[in-house]
Parts: sequence; C-alpha cells; structure tokens
Amino acid sequence: MNRTVLSLVLLTSLLAFAAGCGKPKTTEPSNSGTTPGATKSDNASLSGNITIEGSSTVEPISNRAKEKFNGSFPNVNISVSGQGTGNGFKALGAKECDVSDASRPIKQKELDVCEAAGINFYEVPVAYDGLTIVVNKENDFVNELTVEQLKQIFREDTAAKTWKEINDAWPDKQIAIYAPGIASGTHDYFVEVIGKKDGKGLRADEQTMLSEDDKALVTGVKGDKFAIGFFGFSYYDANKDELKAVSIVNPASSKAVAPSMASIESGEYAPFSRPLFIYVNSESYQRAEVKEFVDYYLDNIVDIVKDASYVPLPADVYASAKAHIVKDLSGSHYLDSEGNKRDGAVTEVYVEENLPE
Amino acid sequence: MKDPINEPREYRNDARRKMFSSSFSVTCLLVSSLAIVVLATLLLSIFSTGGGWLSAEMLTASHRENNPEESGIGQAIIGSLVICTICGLAALPIGVGTAIFLEEFKPKNRFLRMLHGLVQLNINNLAGVPSIVYGILGLTAFVYMFGAFSPIRVNDQPDYEIGATYSYQTKTLGGNYVRFPATPKIQPFFEIKQPRQVSSSEGQPFKLNVVSATTDAAEYKDKLEETVILGTKAELTSHNGVESYTTQTLGGTTVFFKAEPTYSQFAKILEPLMVSDPEGNTFELNVLSKSDAIPTNPEVLSKSVFADSPDPTKRSSASIFRENSFFHMHLPFSKSVLSAGLTLALVILPIVIIASQEAIRGVPQTLREAAFGMGATRWQVVRSAVLPSAIPGIMTGAILAMSRAVGEAAPLLAVMGGVLGTTNHLSSLMDKTPVLPVTIFKWAGDENQGFEHLAAAAIIVLLAFLLLMNSVAIFIRYRYEKKLA
Repeated sequence: MNRTVLSLVLLTSLLAFAAGCGKPKTTEPSNSGTTPGATKSDNASLSGNITIEGSSTVEPISNRAKEKFNGSFPNVNISVSGQGTGNGFKALGAKECDVSDASRPIKQKELDVCEAAGINFYEVPVAYDGLTIVVNKENDFVNELTVEQLKQIFREDTAAKTWKEINDAWPDKQIAIYAPGIASGTHDYFVEVIGKKDGKGLRADEQTMLSEDDKALVTGVKGDKFAIGFFGFSYYDANKDELKAVSIVNPASSKAVAPSMASIESGEYAPFSRPLFIYVNSESYQRAEVKEFVDYYLDNIVDIVKDASYVPLPADVYASAKAHIVKDLSGSHYLDSEGNKRDGAVTEVYVEENLPE
Repeated sequence: MKDPINEPREYRNDARRKMFSSSFSVTCLLVSSLAIVVLATLLLSIFSTGGGWLSAEMLTASHRENNPEESGIGQAIIGSLVICTICGLAALPIGVGTAIFLEEFKPKNRFLRMLHGLVQLNINNLAGVPSIVYGILGLTAFVYMFGAFSPIRVNDQPDYEIGATYSYQTKTLGGNYVRFPATPKIQPFFEIKQPRQVSSSEGQPFKLNVVSATTDAAEYKDKLEETVILGTKAELTSHNGVESYTTQTLGGTTVFFKAEPTYSQFAKILEPLMVSDPEGNTFELNVLSKSDAIPTNPEVLSKSVFADSPDPTKRSSASIFRENSFFHMHLPFSKSVLSAGLTLALVILPIVIIASQEAIRGVPQTLREAAFGMGATRWQVVRSAVLPSAIPGIMTGAILAMSRAVGEAAPLLAVMGGVLGTTNHLSSLMDKTPVLPVTIFKWAGDENQGFEHLAAAAIIVLLAFLLLMNSVAIFIRYRYEKKLA
C-alpha cells in the first residue's frame, strides 16, 4: 500500500514535469501587420534568443515591444525582466543580457565596468517619463507651483510645516507629503531636480510618508485634503479622475504648464520629465535576431510607447538614434571625457558631438 | 492558610471565580474568532476582486502588457509546477536521507557524536532563516557555481554544455532567413577575453592575466610578462607538434596555449553553400557580388545573398543562434528554472528533515527491536521496518513543505529575475519562466487597475493549489497512519 502512495506521488511529479517540458509555442496574434517586403512566413524563419534586463519603469515598454515583435517574428524567444536600472547595467557589464533597460543614463562607474569587459553599447532613448505632482481633488487653493515652492515643501532643510508658509493666502493647515521611497528611480529623479546640487535630500519627518507602492501614495493623497505627493505621469494618467495634477512653472519660460502627453512631448513641461533608455550591446546587435528586434523597436517606437502609456520623444531623437546605430557609434552621450554627467533636455544632449571618440 | 477543600461550599463555588473562568473562555473565543474574521475578510475581498476574472482563457494565456483582459497565468502555472517538482525531487531524497542518518545511525564515537549534534543544531536553526537568504545562497551556489566555471554570457558559448544545436542564419535579398549548421572549428584567431592557463616557449605553465586598455598601467607593471590587453588576438601556430595559439605579452614574452575547436559567433558567406529554411527544405544559396545584376524573381531573391567581404575586420552577415533540446544543460546553471528549483529545495530542506525525523521517531521502538531480533542489519531495519511505517508522515511533511515552496517569491526573484512572460513555453531546464508568486507580486503593483483584479484571480488559483496539496497531505495521513496505532 505504501509503495502505491510513493509511486503515485512520483508519477504525478513526472506528469507535471512532462507537461512543463512540452514544446508548444505561443504565437501571439499580430496587431501590427508585417514589415514591408517580407511576408509573415518569411519572418517566421528568424530564430534566436534575446535577453532583456533592467529598469522596472522601462519594462512595460520592452514587454510591449516584445509582444508586437513576436506578433511578426514568432520564433524569436525573448525574456524581459525588470530588476532595476542598476541591476540592468550590472547584467550588461557581465554580458548577461543583450539589451539593458534604464530609467537614467549610465553612470561612469557602470561605464568603467563595461569598458573593462570590452563591451560597447548603443544608447537609445525610447520615451519620456513625466513626473507628476498631485494634490487632493478638493484642494482648491493650489493650482500651480514653482520649483522654488516645491523646494520649500519637499526639501529636508526648508521642510515647510503648513501651506500658509508657502503662500499667505493658503490655509494654515499641515502639509501631508506622500512620496516614493528611496529605492525608487522616481525618488532619485525628484531629488536631483530639487536639491542634489546643494547636497540636500527629501525631507523625512513625521509629515512625510514614503512608500515603494504607488498605490499607497494615491490612496494617501486621495484621503487628505491637505496632502501633496508625486509619482510617474503614467500612474497619474491611470488615476486622473481621483487626483488633481499641479501645473509646474517652467523655469525657462515662467509659464505654468500642466502635465499632459502633449506638454511632456514638446518639452514645455519642465523640469519634471526625464528620458528613458535602452542600452544595446553592440556585439549582440550584429546577431540577426537582435538587429531585427532593435530595428523593429525603433521603427514602431511611437506605437509601442503609447501602448505602454508613456510619452514618445521628438521624432528627430529617434532618427538620430537610428543613425547612430547604423554608423556604429557606441558610448554614452551623458558622460563627458572627464566622467562628468551632462545635464539638459534629451534633444540637446543626445547629439553625435557628445559621443566619445 | 485556608484549606480550599474544607472551605464552606458557597466560598468554593464563588460566583466571582466562575465569572472569571467564563470571561476567560469568552476572551479566548474572541481572539480565535478574530483570526477567522481576518481570514474571511481576506478571502472575501480576494474573491470579490478576482472571482469574476477567473476564466479558461485567464488560466492559459500569458502576460500581455497594459492589457489585463487578455493576460493570463498559463506560463506561470506550468512554471510553478515544474519548479515545485524539481524542488521536491531534490529535497526529498536528501531530506529523508539526512533524517535517517540523524535518527537511525547515531554514532558512538565522541567526535562523530559532536558532528551529529552540530548537524542537528544547524538544521533546527536553518528552518527559521528567511527565504531571501537562501535566494542569495542559490545565486552563488547554482547560478554562478562559486565562479568555478566561466559564467554564462551572451555571445559566448558555455564551456560545458549538452543538448544545444548551433546554426548560422542570414537574411536573403528576399527578406527571409535561411540557416546552415555551425560546426566548431579551430579558428585562425583567438580573442583573449579572460584569464587563462598558458605556457611559455620553454614549456613553463602560468596564468595569463587580462587587463582592459583603460586599466591603470601602474597596477600591473610588475607582471608585464604575464599580462595582455583584453581582446588581444592570438594567432594559430604549431607548437611542439600541437595546434596552438600564440601571442606576445606586454612584457614581450611569447606564450602558447592549446587550440580547441570553437564556434565562431559570426560566419562569412563567400561562396555558394547548401542552406535550409525552418521547414527543412534544403537548397543552394546564390551568392552574388555587388556588381552582379539583382534578380527580379522573388523566388530567386529569397535564395540569394550578397557575398561578404573577405576582410576579417568587416562585419559578417551570418550570425549564430542556438536551439535547445529538452535536455539542454550547461554549467553553471545561470538564471534558470533548475537554479530556482534547487534554491527552493534548500529553503524547504530543513522542514523536510525535521518532519521526517518526527515521522521516524514516531515508529515504535518494538518494531525495530523485532527486526533486529530476526537478525536484520541496521540498513535492513531502516529499509523494511522503519521507512515503510514512517513514509506517510514523511510524505505529509514533504507535501506541506512543498506547498510552502510553491508560494515563495523572494528567492525566485533573486535566482531567476522577475520574468512576467517569455515568448516560448518552457522547453528546457535552462530557460527562465514566470511563476505564480512573482506574477502576483508584479501584477499587484502594476499601474493598470485591471491587473489588480487579475492578481486576485491568480491568488485564488494559488490558494486552490495550496489547498489541494494540503488535502493530499491530510488524506495520506488519515489513510495510512491508522495502521500503526
């Protein structure tokens, strides 16, 4: 009797294993049509494996690119994993991935690792991620904020207690702050704008609630009339009926601009929009399947980015990205020869002159 | 001192004492029902959020970005099942073996007894270690194998590998891809990318260091004779009658190492060759030179390519790709299903051992004595008397441990990464796969509200899975444990 149990258990495990090891392939329905000049069966003749790792912010874009690409090229096996930008660059430097997703440009240290391992990469900006500052729907006094006012509210050295301290016309009520936690790229990016130059970070007092979970931030701001918070634009877009976005005064034009797909794309919504990147190992790019994938990614980038609810970059940025790849120009635009980071709009920084020799 | 027995009756059954007693039982009831209420609320909220999203499509489809209606957990279910199976197959024999050693083979030697005690102590402590710690251990032990083998990297073939077929593919002028088999060859050049064992012209073996061009020269100025720049090309030559690669170090010494046949990452197409399409039709590839007239017939175009430049510095048009058979394996295991399963086996091993020990301890001593009395050796006693009676208990413990393993997300994130979906279904143990807990974790944080419902639906599936495993455990215990009593 005991033997029966044992064999039963073994049999079930074997069956489960056999079921897992079958080889059925999912062919995703194509919703993009096929590339011109090649029929669907022609595309099916391409095989291979592509590994993508990196930022969880960029992951949805790469996932969408994978789905669309597999719609036309069903036999290229792609795995996308989102473990954070830093881990993505680590994987790039260790040759563990063909493409690395990144929500910030590569740092000098990470570049050194790649160089030491003899790895060259193409830096490709794929989308804008707008950071949105939100308040409660019932908040009728805050409509726009300047960067200076944001510094007063969010920085650790100023850390305003009440709204009245920012503007005399505003109520004498405590400000409740909901912000992404320190492991988040959004947190880093916000700090970079409001205080990195002066070596100041985000306040962390009893008025501040930090959370890695964007949902908790939405709930927090929703539940308190005197709350303020920030997160990625796409997250605001998904919850825009329940929150109110604050217009930000563009430091260059002094005009208050509300965050929207259009204002982020045009660059008017500044300084809270950042570019997202993919980094392609240039040796991998010589492989047929990686070349087809990256070319397809860039050819369909506007659709892919919009499907993933991000904002596309200006068309000439994509054009120069394509040109850089064709000319085999590798390296980062964001680091000068001394290893200092270049700041500025992607349209200004992402130019050929900024590439290393 | 008052004597309670001899107290008057009314004192002994004092109403206060009774009230205290009954209020205590009410408190106990409240506390225990609190747990039930929390559980019920949890279940209710999960069912109300996710119940409506359960469907046959949801159980079979894979993740679709920003599209919860068409997303599903098909790949994740298979992934979880496979990982759970690997975990069980690895943890069960080792766990039961250890338990038998600890319970039945107690050493008499003083030193061995100390070792025995140490193992027991460790196991008891390990059962409480958080699973993410095992994840990091698995990363070192299985994914990178302590650096004993050269790591698995894109654009390099693993040193130790079975079950992989390599082919080159190239795009024809018609836009389709054709392939031809790759054979490992001794390449005319060898690019030195990592440190390796070499020998000098006198035959003295030593390790060749590799530094990048950007490394500070001061760091290796003492050992120029043993150092080359990363990417240095070694040429093919004959050294003592053996085909070898040779190159000069920064210090000017000539070094040799044996030439092994390898796959080249890219292949040049210079003359016509036999190729095939994925359906297996073979035909000869026309190789045109740039000056040739381009054929207009699409049929001919789909079988023609331009010849590559013979210049070795120019790019080649054919690149290598790998097809895995179901038994594809390489060392180290890298981030794969096998690493994940083995890591989970580490997580549950202490639990399996402790449960098996309990089961073995539960076997009546008289049974062993009877077997010994009949002249059985210790091993025979274990095999024919102890194990058969202990198996139900062991299986119960093992199944409960596996139901813990199937719900673990943290160690899997460490050893496999947070994969939501792959193009193909799992085809070998070296693939990555989505699993239920990781999928739930990623969906719950997705900005698309629909995925919240889908995550709840996936939780229902996971709960059903756990419930099933636990009832199997209960069934086994109920059905087979009675016999011993």
